[in-house]
Amino acid sequence: MNYFELFGLEAKFSIDLAELSATFQALQKTVHPDRFAHSSSQEQLLAVQKSAEINDAYQTLKQPISRGEYLLTLRGTELPSEQQSFQDVSFLMEQMELREMLADIEHASDVDAAIFSAQETLDIQSQNIWQKTQQLLDKNNEQDNIAASELLRKLKFYHKLQIELERIEDALFDD
Amino acid sequence: MALLQIAEPGLSSVPHQHRLAAGIDLGTTNSLVASVKSGLPETLQDSNGSDITPSIVSYQQDTVLVGHAAEAFSVKDPQNTIKSVKRLIGRSLSDIKSKYPALPYEFSGEDNHPKLVTRQGEQDPVQVSAKILSQLVERAKSSLGGELEGVVITVPAYFDDAQRQSTKDAATLAGVNVLRLLNEPTAAAVAYGLDSKQEGVIAVYDLGGGTFDISILRLNKGVFEVLATGGDSALGGDDFDIAIADHIIEKSGLARPLSNSLERQISEQACHAKEQLSSQEKVQVTLAFEDALAANSEVSFELNRQTLDSLIQPLVTKTLRSCRRALKDADIKADEINEVVMVGGSTRVPLVRSSVGDFFKRPPLTSIDPDKVVAIGAAIQADVLAGNKPDNEMLLLDVTPLSLGLETMGGLVEKVIPRNTTIPVAKAQEFTTFKDGQTAMAIHVLQGERELVEDCRSLARFELRGIPAMTAGAAHIRVTFKVDADGLLSVSAMEKSTKVESSIQVKPSFGLEENDIINMLQDSMSHAQEDMDARMLKEQQVEATRVHENVSAALAQDGANLLNEQEREAIENALAELLTTSQSSDIAAIEQAIKDTDNITSTFAERRMDASIRTALAGHSVDEV
Repeated sequence: MNYFELFGLEAKFSIDLAELSATFQALQKTVHPDRFAHSSSQEQLLAVQKSAEINDAYQTLKQPISRGEYLLTLRGTELPSEQQSFQDVSFLMEQMELREMLADIEHASDVDAAIFSAQETLDIQSQNIWQKTQQLLDKNNEQDNIAASELLRKLKFYHKLQIELERIEDALFDD
Repeated sequence: MALLQIAEPGLSSVPHQHRLAAGIDLGTTNSLVASVKSGLPETLQDSNGSDITPSIVSYQQDTVLVGHAAEAFSVKDPQNTIKSVKRLIGRSLSDIKSKYPALPYEFSGEDNHPKLVTRQGEQDPVQVSAKILSQLVERAKSSLGGELEGVVITVPAYFDDAQRQSTKDAATLAGVNVLRLLNEPTAAAVAYGLDSKQEGVIAVYDLGGGTFDISILRLNKGVFEVLATGGDSALGGDDFDIAIADHIIEKSGLARPLSNSLERQISEQACHAKEQLSSQEKVQVTLAFEDALAANSEVSFELNRQTLDSLIQPLVTKTLRSCRRALKDADIKADEINEVVMVGGSTRVPLVRSSVGDFFKRPPLTSIDPDKVVAIGAAIQADVLAGNKPDNEMLLLDVTPLSLGLETMGGLVEKVIPRNTTIPVAKAQEFTTFKDGQTAMAIHVLQGERELVEDCRSLARFELRGIPAMTAGAAHIRVTFKVDADGLLSVSAMEKSTKVESSIQVKPSFGLEENDIINMLQDSMSHAQEDMDARMLKEQQVEATRVHENVSAALAQDGANLLNEQEREAIENALAELLTTSQSSDIAAIEQAIKDTDNITSTFAERRMDASIRTALAGHSVDEV
């Protein structure tokens, strides 16, 4: 049973997150180890396995990047590995500029404004890519799937930038 | 020969009975036990009518005292009177010494497995905790009038794996079945949530004697989903006391090192001053010296709340930092929090209340006694887990407090399970060899958020041997981390091309090994071997009965739908065999009969689980429409 089937969902990218969460809770109410606390060790073990599988499925489907990647794997599209070198030189140049933008925040005269504008830049650019990714995933043919997998890889770069921005924000306001 | 009992077809072999269970709050400063009696959770009192037991154990000549009785020896006999042992379990000696330099105990043993030297010999901190647990379990037994099915023991959400494992080991030594280790803030949320039927997002701020936790939970139709947790497993009211004690020493013109007894006296004065200043603006601090030759036999001065606040401000600020990170991890803004619940005696300090109120922009809730709320929540869950509420909708979904990872080249940590992942969880990560022909690999398991190995906490090391010799990078070793519902970790490893699962001896970096526990158990029994055998026989018999009851009930419920004639017959035969064997006193035979039944019912158990998932999905989609 794949993760979409486990949650009674059609295997597509756009899903209702509120429904996903409700199904998650309903499933856990059935299989969670707490339901088997006075059962035999065998049933307890089985409950831990099922419950862990449902947790993993929920996490995978909840986050858009992992959901997209999982969907592509189900479709038989090979995901580009982390080690594989990146062909898109202009994208890498943009990423370096974004990194510099983040590094400059602490030297900005108005730190709050710099953080706000950096967040806005990241949001606009990544939302653009998300839009294209979603369209490609909905088309679901071999070529578009490969293209979508490349875009998901790019989105992971944005995800890392987002984490970096939060780290900077934390460090600045911790003192 | 005893006649075999056979139940009527279609009925469970045993009528439903109320199973006795209790919740235990094993605190740094105080411990409590509570249980659900006629539907209502309440704390259980000792023979003196007190429900709070100081977490103090005193090793006297012929006896071991626990609680109030031990407290009397606190200043008189500090070296043999162990206070706040919770701060010591699952920790290394260097850890303890750097955090608490003024402890009056003598330590022995290895750095990672320190023991306390008392007049009754060396005591592992786990053994000391077991003494406290034993007393609480005894109280529950006599108050409830029978043997316990099991207990729920609470631990700080921010406890790491070694501290959790040590707590469970203490229960094993105390001879009590642990239904679940439950995180303290989650327990408090249960007590509050069920009380108020609250829905939405709540924050639980739990500042105890030695630990601090912050948990953000979403409450929805009986489900308590922890979104994020954070904290510090070595920050609590004791640290307030230490800050005040340092101030007292400075004001009194004293200098360390001081005698153990004077250290205890100062720390008790500090604690007293802190408590008084919760309701008063100022308090008088008085120290009496035993040394008759001293110029002054007494020192006395005034301490006011403003001074107290300035002493503890940095500690309170530290807790708020954890709150901010937890909110961020939960992806929740402070104004989305519907309620803030205060737990732990240290939340009585006015500066703590006002700071937390300011941070979350709402007055915190204190309607349930902050000392009792955790034990009460634990009692409610113990009642559910014991099976007394089959139709109960309550479900607790907790998370891992700290990231789990492995050491990779260059002393870096590769995270396998990030913090705040819902448990239980199983995650695998693949690794490869570094050199041609490499046949072994050292695996180092770590817990923590930092990138360098030296900044994280070492949980265990093991070696994976028998990897087939290949060129560097060709072998694929799959390491699987599993965290169960108690938050306890187990690790296994497999080389993928050969599918050989390596037999791994995980040597815990801290705490006890299995052999230690067995030895301690034997030491604690007068007729060691016979007692151990009797205990093991009983455990196997209980498990056999449990398996028999479960499978019989399952057959009655689903046998017709999910099994063919042949399968059903095989299971019934195994059950009959199990019943006969379980009445013998042959431990190995009973164990085998359980194993046989497990094997023959494994497909049935899986089919039942899948069927219940299908039913849940169907019922759920009907709800949606």
